[in-house]
Amino acid sequence: MKKRILIQGMHCASCASNIERSLKKIPGVKSARVSLMIKKGYVECEDSVSDEDLKKAVARTGYRTVSIEKE
Amino acid sequence: MEKEMDEHHHDEPVEDSEIRDWKRKMMWSWALAIPIAFLMLSERLFGFSIIEMPYSIILILVLGFPVLFVFGWSTIRGGMRGFTSFYFNMDSLIALGTVVAYITGILSFSGIVQDYSGVAAMIMAFFVTGKYVEALARGRAGQEIRKLLELSAKKARVLRGNREIEVAIEEVKIGDIMIVKPGEKIPTDGLVVRGESAVDESMVTGESLPAEKKKSDAVIGATINQDGILYVKATKIGKDTFLAHIIRLVEDAQGTKVPIQKLADKITNIFVPSILVLALLTSGGWFYFSGDLSRAIGVGVAVLVIACPCALGLATPTALMVGSGMGAKKGILIRKGEAIQTMKEIKIIVFDKTGTITKGKPEVTNIHAEVKENYLMEIAASLEKLSEHPIAKAIVEKAKLKKFREVKGFKVLRGRGVEGKIGKSDIVIGNRTLMNEKKISFKDFEKVIEKFESQGKTTMIVAENGKIIGIIAVADAVKSDSISAIAQLNEAGYRTVMITGDNERTAKAIAKEVGIKEVIANVLPEDKAKKVEELQKEGFVAFVGDGINDAPALKQSNVGFALGSGTDIAIESGDIVLAKNSLEGVVQAINLSKATFGKIKQNLFWAFAYNTIAIPVAVAGLLHPVIAEIAMALSSITVVTNANLLRRKKI
Repeated sequence: MKKRILIQGMHCASCASNIERSLKKIPGVKSARVSLMIKKGYVECEDSVSDEDLKKAVARTGYRTVSIEKE
Repeated sequence: MEKEMDEHHHDEPVEDSEIRDWKRKMMWSWALAIPIAFLMLSERLFGFSIIEMPYSIILILVLGFPVLFVFGWSTIRGGMRGFTSFYFNMDSLIALGTVVAYITGILSFSGIVQDYSGVAAMIMAFFVTGKYVEALARGRAGQEIRKLLELSAKKARVLRGNREIEVAIEEVKIGDIMIVKPGEKIPTDGLVVRGESAVDESMVTGESLPAEKKKSDAVIGATINQDGILYVKATKIGKDTFLAHIIRLVEDAQGTKVPIQKLADKITNIFVPSILVLALLTSGGWFYFSGDLSRAIGVGVAVLVIACPCALGLATPTALMVGSGMGAKKGILIRKGEAIQTMKEIKIIVFDKTGTITKGKPEVTNIHAEVKENYLMEIAASLEKLSEHPIAKAIVEKAKLKKFREVKGFKVLRGRGVEGKIGKSDIVIGNRTLMNEKKISFKDFEKVIEKFESQGKTTMIVAENGKIIGIIAVADAVKSDSISAIAQLNEAGYRTVMITGDNERTAKAIAKEVGIKEVIANVLPEDKAKKVEELQKEGFVAFVGDGINDAPALKQSNVGFALGSGTDIAIESGDIVLAKNSLEGVVQAINLSKATFGKIKQNLFWAFAYNTIAIPVAVAGLLHPVIAEIAMALSSITVVTNANLLRRKKI
């Protein structure tokens, strides 16, 4: 499953790479990429990964999830 | 869970508000930091202190407090959070640097250290300024993509019952008949049900010539109707429209990575913690060797604020953003950042023939008439009108008749042609086999037929009452710009190859016309990918084809160019999608990729060079912390500005 996360509060390159690493730590996440430019994260994950898990991973690094869409 | 397209509209003002926010912080910070600067420098500037010690330190602390803890609060809070969560970011460096410097102001009363609190406020003011300028430049980097977002129509005029009413675009339903007047935007994708007009599609496909639209033609939402009234039945709305697909495609590309960025990413990941450690070691070292605590703190702060992970992290994404925005404007949609890098390794470009080099639809190319040409075409078209064959359609289209002659006893002779009676004449139209069958001699025309056939064309012989009155040659004509595009690629040194299911003769004729030397003919569609694989043994291969039938070959190739046609856009295949159904886009996409990749390399070089030079200089204690902060801010601004300069490149 592929998901798009709209993230608020990023303003530097380290922010994006932090969120990326945090997302990758969720079990079941195969790949995660975060773009500072369009403020979005792209996650490829197993169905077992819930939106809550993703939100928590984003929050852990200090940013806010605006919305999550499924592809 | 599915969000509508307008989610994108919501996040667009976020960018503006971010810029506004930084601007407000910047103004206030400077309103306080400038008096602080005077207080700090008054002795040097005027030879005496405006306010005596220790009152000036108290004043600096008071003025500096809001700079750090009000206007810089989001930075300090965000940065300090890193020390608890261990997700350090850029802010962590600035937060630590400014807070430590500020505290020295308080400690200075005890006489242990010199006062750096003014420096703290200056650093924050410069940091906020840098962020503001960077946000502006980043906004500019995305301006083309933003324009795409703003392209969609806001309103539509639809027919409800017998009344025309204006509704918001969200209220248009599939099947609604929309009325589009000259000069207006077509609200959403649809089919023309009435009317004729030229439509300017340049904003979505990059095609500069307006497209003629008539009944049952597909039109794209957000394109502009030029001269006639069109009645359009809505077929796609919201996030299913062509424009929505394009926007998504361009945006998603920002989430892909360019391989060259990997090293920069790895460094960014460990950058901040490493700098924290380095700053600590630097301060410790300075204190140990010089015994001067103030100096040790000053140097440590300089190291903290000079390090700039942002330049490294922004180098690639900003250039990619500008590049893909420039492409989108011309109908070149870069789906994968990787393609930009792979592009420069490409040696061989393989073109599918039908629909890629050619129009994909037969057309009358030559008419050899023994009678008046008008008469020949009138007879031929009247008969062919009754046939469904693509070649028949080409003849009908060419004749452009207002009225067709009445045909009696029409018969399709499978694989050979057609026959029928017009007035008193017996008409036969078909190939050699049919003529032989009907015992019609075409000996005198053998040369003409041969000539057309050697050009890969299909010939139709037209006979009236057993006598040949003309020959019509039909071929899948080459697109108008295929020749010039391929010539440019040949000249650039690419090995161009054409692949097709056609027979060798037809294929070679087309290849010769467009200037391709290598032909792979008689290839079944499913074998195209295999042929690409074979070519890959000799070098990197790009494949150009339509996204639907050629999907496996596009996937197999190193860079796949999927040609879109009209409203069909094959998103899943192809690393680069060309919205305009023309080979010119291939040339442009190659130029654009090379220019963008060049910018990325420049940016990365700059970012690496900056950090490897600036950090040691700061460690050596040669930089004042405020100067260090200015250098840091400038370095990330430079990277983003340099990416914006990509626009100067003509593609």
